[in-house]
Amino acid sequence: MGDIFKGCWKADVALTVLYLLLCAALSTFRMFSAYLISLLISLTVGVWMARSRSVERVLMPILDVLQSIPILGFFPAALAFFVATLPPGLGQEAAAVFLIVTSQVWNMIFGVYTSVKSLEPGLFEMAKVYGLGRAATFFYICVPAARNSLIANSLVSWAGGWFFLTSSEVISMGEEEEHRLLGLGTFIMEAFARGDALSFQAGVATLIAVILATYLLLWNPACAGVLGYQLPGVPAAYTVVRSAVSKLWTALSSVIMSLRVGVRVPRYAGLAIAAALLALLLHAIAGASASSAPALIAPSDVFDVMLGIPVSLARVAAIVSLGVAISLLAAYAVYASMRAGQLVILAGEMLASIPAVIWWPLLAGIAVGSPLGPHIVSAIVFLQGSAWYLFFNLLIYGVSSIRRELDEMAKVYRIRGWWFMRMIFAPMLMPSLAAGALSAWGGAWNSTVAAEYVELGDRVIDLGGAGAALNRAAYAGDYIGVALSALILSLVIVAVNKTFWRRVFEWVESRYGGGLE
Amino acid sequence: MIPVLSIEDIRKAFKQDGNVVQVLDGINLEVGEEFIAILGPSGCGKTTLLRIVAGVEKPDGGRIVIHDRTPKVGFIFQFPTLLPWLTVLDNVALPLRANGMSWREARERAHKYLSLTGLQAFEDFYPRELSGGMKQRVNIARALAVEPTILLMDEPFSNLDPLTAESLRTEILDLWTLKVTTVRAIIMVTHSVDEAIFMADRLVILTPRPAKIRGIIEVDLPRPRDRRSPEFQKLEDKVYELISA
Repeated sequence: MGDIFKGCWKADVALTVLYLLLCAALSTFRMFSAYLISLLISLTVGVWMARSRSVERVLMPILDVLQSIPILGFFPAALAFFVATLPPGLGQEAAAVFLIVTSQVWNMIFGVYTSVKSLEPGLFEMAKVYGLGRAATFFYICVPAARNSLIANSLVSWAGGWFFLTSSEVISMGEEEEHRLLGLGTFIMEAFARGDALSFQAGVATLIAVILATYLLLWNPACAGVLGYQLPGVPAAYTVVRSAVSKLWTALSSVIMSLRVGVRVPRYAGLAIAAALLALLLHAIAGASASSAPALIAPSDVFDVMLGIPVSLARVAAIVSLGVAISLLAAYAVYASMRAGQLVILAGEMLASIPAVIWWPLLAGIAVGSPLGPHIVSAIVFLQGSAWYLFFNLLIYGVSSIRRELDEMAKVYRIRGWWFMRMIFAPMLMPSLAAGALSAWGGAWNSTVAAEYVELGDRVIDLGGAGAALNRAAYAGDYIGVALSALILSLVIVAVNKTFWRRVFEWVESRYGGGLE
Repeated sequence: MIPVLSIEDIRKAFKQDGNVVQVLDGINLEVGEEFIAILGPSGCGKTTLLRIVAGVEKPDGGRIVIHDRTPKVGFIFQFPTLLPWLTVLDNVALPLRANGMSWREARERAHKYLSLTGLQAFEDFYPRELSGGMKQRVNIARALAVEPTILLMDEPFSNLDPLTAESLRTEILDLWTLKVTTVRAIIMVTHSVDEAIFMADRLVILTPRPAKIRGIIEVDLPRPRDRRSPEFQKLEDKVYELISA
């Protein structure tokens, strides 16, 4: 009797482990597909923007808006669109990958764009004189030029993707409609809902292990190899991946180049693509409204979001300031000591990658323990969704831009501690700090959706604010209201970008930009 | 004279801050198998003319005819414009590869022309590992490797130290007079009267903007030319007179 029970338990454990591994594999696969799509989008769009003035004029403002709006808010609408247009299983999968792409792609596009844009114009003149054509110019001039910034941005985007992974696997649309995909996020949330502590912990541990593995085996060695930064990692696996990727890429480039001349981008292609996107969006809205009962569209939801905006604004501002302080300290640790720096970076990569939704169940004890508890966990989720932009910007671009001459000068004149921080260290980091803060601000708005409202088992934590209001509307099944509210929120954010942030950048540029005298 | 290139009534205007600036105002020139130097005040449109001949820029009026079954153009840029992520060999081979040659063939051809410019030992180097003069040699090898009918040079020696510039001038002249390349005509844009007389068969002097041809001077001195010879000095005076007229 006891033996049978033991056997059952064993089989059960084996099954659970197998299930967990399957979930991990599926989530990882989802991440890699999304990354691949982001890579292709960023290369084509980034290069196209840098090479064509008219495309740049059209896409620049659009991307500017897209990168700073709460994408999670639009997700139900996107989900409805994909589920309505694609076959059942595929639609959901496509929606999940789409959400991950939207969390990865913007900074990658801008990275490609700036590197191609800053190339010496003589190179393109050369390409023209020798009839290199579009394909060869793309493969031999633009892509290699973008490589460094793509790797650096991939480090950030990879973390961003994991952050949204779980949100994309479990999405509720109304009380009766919930979409779940097999994956680590779902596994963890289900284990928590069941109250299965062991499975929950195993799930979180697996998630962390997978994230760590991808950094140690892939991104850190890639970053070290290409950019020359010292990051902890195991280069062996990367070498294999690298040679495989380079073979594939060479094959692709020769195929496309052999097709040469045929590809001519028509003059109004940009306009056509914009029109197609608009049509797609309208189609999505139509699809969403067709599948949602008209009675559910409540204008009060929109009003609710507008009331929440000031509350969220205060939170976002506080979080960005906190993120600046933490990132500066981290940057100093990296700068001051190589070994401490390596640990800080690895810890940062991991913390940055832990999905937003995991924090709530993980810290459920704190969240429900005291009246202040939910705010603390909310702050952690907020930080997590935003501070890493600052963190990576400072650590990857900022610290490497510090001039060793200044360091020497500080040593000679014994400028240390606070004065070093204030007069030398922080000012040198200003440009990357400002760039990071702007992204962090966008990230923080995006996290309002995950940080201000959560359902923990049968308990609902609602901290108010725009993000919480968006959630309430989504749970009520009113995703037209959700999309509309997200749109209003986006307008507010863009308005602040165009006024406040623009001044900040002008100030930083005039005071801290440029080289050493 | 066997015609190699006809420049027929080329006109070009640019829009600048809302104003239309006429740059080239009817340039006519027949080029045979010869070395032409184009001289003129800065900003007069010399480089624009060169770019129009190269087919990179479209003229508003007139046309360019290259009298060859396979009209190809080599261009030596003012700056080396090498791709930092490709080796010297691949930098030279890329234009060939991009125009349908296989990598193997393209590299063989690149190797041949790198040897001609004395760079065979540096094929596997990256541009950043080379000196300014060597980079400019790669630029020259790349232009010759497409096996062009016409070689265009845009102030090719203006960014080199005087000694390197002088030795590159001699090398280009050697390649030209020994006829070891496919080049049948050279057009060089330059600011230096001395350089023009030292190298070219004919000097074409342009007026300030909008550029017309002010005069053409034949240089019938035997090569190698001696800058200190009275004939050389006399020609130099003549050119300066024409430029400042």
